Amino acid sequence: MALLTDAELGAIRKHAEADYPAEACGVLLVRPGTVEERCLRACRNIQDELHAKDPGRFPRTARTAYYIAHEDLLDIGRREGEGFEVRVIYHSHVDAGAYFSETDRRNAMVDGVPAYPQTTYVVVSVAGGRVAEIRAHQFSAAAGEFVEVPFAVGHGAAQAERR
Amino acid sequence: MAVNVYIPTPFRRATAGAPRVEVDAADMKELLDALESRYEGLRSLLRDAAGQVHHHVNLYVNGEEIGALQGTATRLKDGDEVSIIPALAGGVWLS
Repeated sequence: MALLTDAELGAIRKHAEADYPAEACGVLLVRPGTVEERCLRACRNIQDELHAKDPGRFPRTARTAYYIAHEDLLDIGRREGEGFEVRVIYHSHVDAGAYFSETDRRNAMVDGVPAYPQTTYVVVSVAGGRVAEIRAHQFSAAAGEFVEVPFAVGHGAAQAERR
Repeated sequence: MAVNVYIPTPFRRATAGAPRVEVDAADMKELLDALESRYEGLRSLLRDAAGQVHHHVNLYVNGEEIGALQGTATRLKDGDEVSIIPALAGGVWLS
């Protein structure tokens, strides 16, 4: 089963390049059913706002970090209440590789347990404004940590939402 | 004050899978105390040993983040909707 449709992957690439030199972020929500419902949501990165307000607590800017906006978090929660699952969380790295960093790992855990153990974290490397590499990562119960996983791309449209 | 609380997916292991619970509380501190008292497993998920709400935990009253209100002193009234939502955040390695 493809993780992303080619149109969804295209939308993610476009989002990552458009937000350069800031990190882009978003989620793919999927409601399982006879006919699967998919919704790609490009979220707002509020890291710069947090940094401006409280640089002690948020020393990084959006060039090196992302923090999904409150309105997006609330909407994701609302959608989860309607039966959607967070299938993919994606973000970009600016002029850096598509690895899953220590910060990414730490923030993906809640009290030592993965927040979304079934979710695939897609990282997009954007170098000089163009997508250079995309990699997927998921928590492995066997390894007890996040590991890189292959991801398949299928044909299909993107049901995208604007931020 | 009967308040409806949304429990996020990553925290439902502490509420036996319940996505929403109703709590009687006059303010957010009382609400957190009541939640932790009812669901022991929520204690370490919501606050640290010093009783401070974890940095990665966002609390909203009727869609407004409590940092923009009165923090844990934010008053609650009947029918308020409280949402608990962990941050989705990350970033590159910094050398």
